[in-house]
Amino acid sequence: MHTSAAIITGASEGLGKFMAIEMASRGYHLVLVALPGTGLPQLAQFLIKNFSICAHYFEMDLTEVDNCVALFQSLRTQHIQADILINNAGIGNNDWFDDKCICFYAKQITLNVMAPVVLTRLFIDHPCHAKQRYILNVGSLGGIFVVPKKGVYGATKSFIRHFTKSLQIELRNTNISISLLSPGGINTKPELLVLHDSLKGISRVTVLEPEVVAKKAIDGMFKGKKEIIPGIFNRIFVWLKGLLPNIIQEMIIHRNMKNVL
Amino acid sequence: MNIFISGATGFIGRALSLTLAEQGHTIHALSRRNNHPLLPVHPNIRVFLGDISSKNSLVAAMQGCEQAYHTAALAKMWTKNKNEFHEVNVAGTRNILEAANEAGVGKIVHTSSCGVIGPTLKYPMTEEDPRITGFPIHYERTKYLAELEVREFVKKGMNVVIASPSRVYGKGPITDSNTVGKIVTAYLRGKWRVNPANGRQVSNYAYLDDVVQGHIAAMQHGIAGHRYILGGEDVSFNAFFDTVRQLSGVHHRLINVPQPAIKWYSWIEWLKTSITGQPPFFLPEFADRLKYDQKYSSQKAIDQLGYRITPFPEGMQQMIQYYLQQKN
Repeated sequence: MHTSAAIITGASEGLGKFMAIEMASRGYHLVLVALPGTGLPQLAQFLIKNFSICAHYFEMDLTEVDNCVALFQSLRTQHIQADILINNAGIGNNDWFDDKCICFYAKQITLNVMAPVVLTRLFIDHPCHAKQRYILNVGSLGGIFVVPKKGVYGATKSFIRHFTKSLQIELRNTNISISLLSPGGINTKPELLVLHDSLKGISRVTVLEPEVVAKKAIDGMFKGKKEIIPGIFNRIFVWLKGLLPNIIQEMIIHRNMKNVL
Repeated sequence: MNIFISGATGFIGRALSLTLAEQGHTIHALSRRNNHPLLPVHPNIRVFLGDISSKNSLVAAMQGCEQAYHTAALAKMWTKNKNEFHEVNVAGTRNILEAANEAGVGKIVHTSSCGVIGPTLKYPMTEEDPRITGFPIHYERTKYLAELEVREFVKKGMNVVIASPSRVYGKGPITDSNTVGKIVTAYLRGKWRVNPANGRQVSNYAYLDDVVQGHIAAMQHGIAGHRYILGGEDVSFNAFFDTVRQLSGVHHRLINVPQPAIKWYSWIEWLKTSITGQPPFFLPEFADRLKYDQKYSSQKAIDQLGYRITPFPEGMQQMIQYYLQQKN
């Protein structure tokens, strides 16, 4: 049994839910954060029942800085220590840039960029007696590869990548280990299940099941890995990107564009 | 009363049609062909030719019906054309609901599956528990998407109830979806030699007659948009085969095969299927499932629908007797 807890944002569905299950199965106490009305109390109850852990939950919108501050304030007043922070909450999409309204992009950027930065800052200051602390920031292969229809999303994930890598240097000789998770497609939400079903060949094999990604992510975090890329094909793509000249990469993207259009 | 039933040749739909027909209702049974060998025969059953992929044929078959049961689904492990799962289970459900709306059907029971709720951690799963794995199995994924379709229609004001049977067994023809029937008859013939995952995996077995009564009760008392698990007892493979042995008196030695061995074998099957296009005997996503139990609680249906569970040995006895009679 561990005395301090792991904070997981965006824990009610998608990858966040599976990381919550994975952490609970390893006996960690949890602080789950998600929007109201997303089934968070039921998930907390389910994990408490099945794993005999403590699971606190906070239903709040992390696009408000005040809520991020309030979260850590309540942890302090309830004397809940946190040795792990998993910055998972985020909004993804797959649309042409002019098909989404400005409020969508404003929200996406705030949740994907501002919230992890603010929460990481608050987490570092949060009192904790644990010998070793961990941060896991959820990025994306979309933060490495430039593709259409994911311009803003990819840019937010590219920000997370840059931010995480920079902090890795800063925190090198401290007791905080910070890892970046860069997954490809994951079979989580219904619309993704339908989209991924229609994929063929090589794109199909890059899509992974959420429980598989969650396990790799948590394993990698505890090993102190700098970047975790689940899936052998995804690792090959990232490796190839380092090898292939830009001109060839662009050719591949333009060729694939034809299939999309 | 006139009642529409899709999937009337299926394991559940067939038994449901006969039960309701016996109660004096007129059944509008949907079938893709007139001479289907499993079409239930009864003076009160009228066969309507049609297909859930064609909405017009559904509207015609539903004319004058107050109730509709949507039991039709592609409940196989594998098909050559992967889109078929989506077309039948998701688009088919949407067609049924749209047609029911047009034909003025008052209430619909949609047959889903405990596969949508998924595998178990420690305690039996309830209707409200979160799913602990993704949806690698085509059938489960498309049945989940079908439930989302149902929820959309409920939001628009339609009265649709979701019935979620677990692994159904009972007296009925050996069809693709009747996995328990396939295993038991193969065992009785001495053709089933494997005790999967060393026999420790626990699944929930629902007796067909209970599931039929559960459907009828869901139609009477079920609340729109609610999901009701129609299950039975949680039984391990070891207990399952012990029961079959005791009841049938047929003793065959089974070989304990651990889950990892099944996983390796399933990859060979997968490769074979990928190359030849022939149906596989087993697939990796199903081998993974053997790592988990599949325990379900029918408490909500018991409390709200008056659902009753036939004890497993009793149901199994009926089933074995039925198959032994069939053989003679």
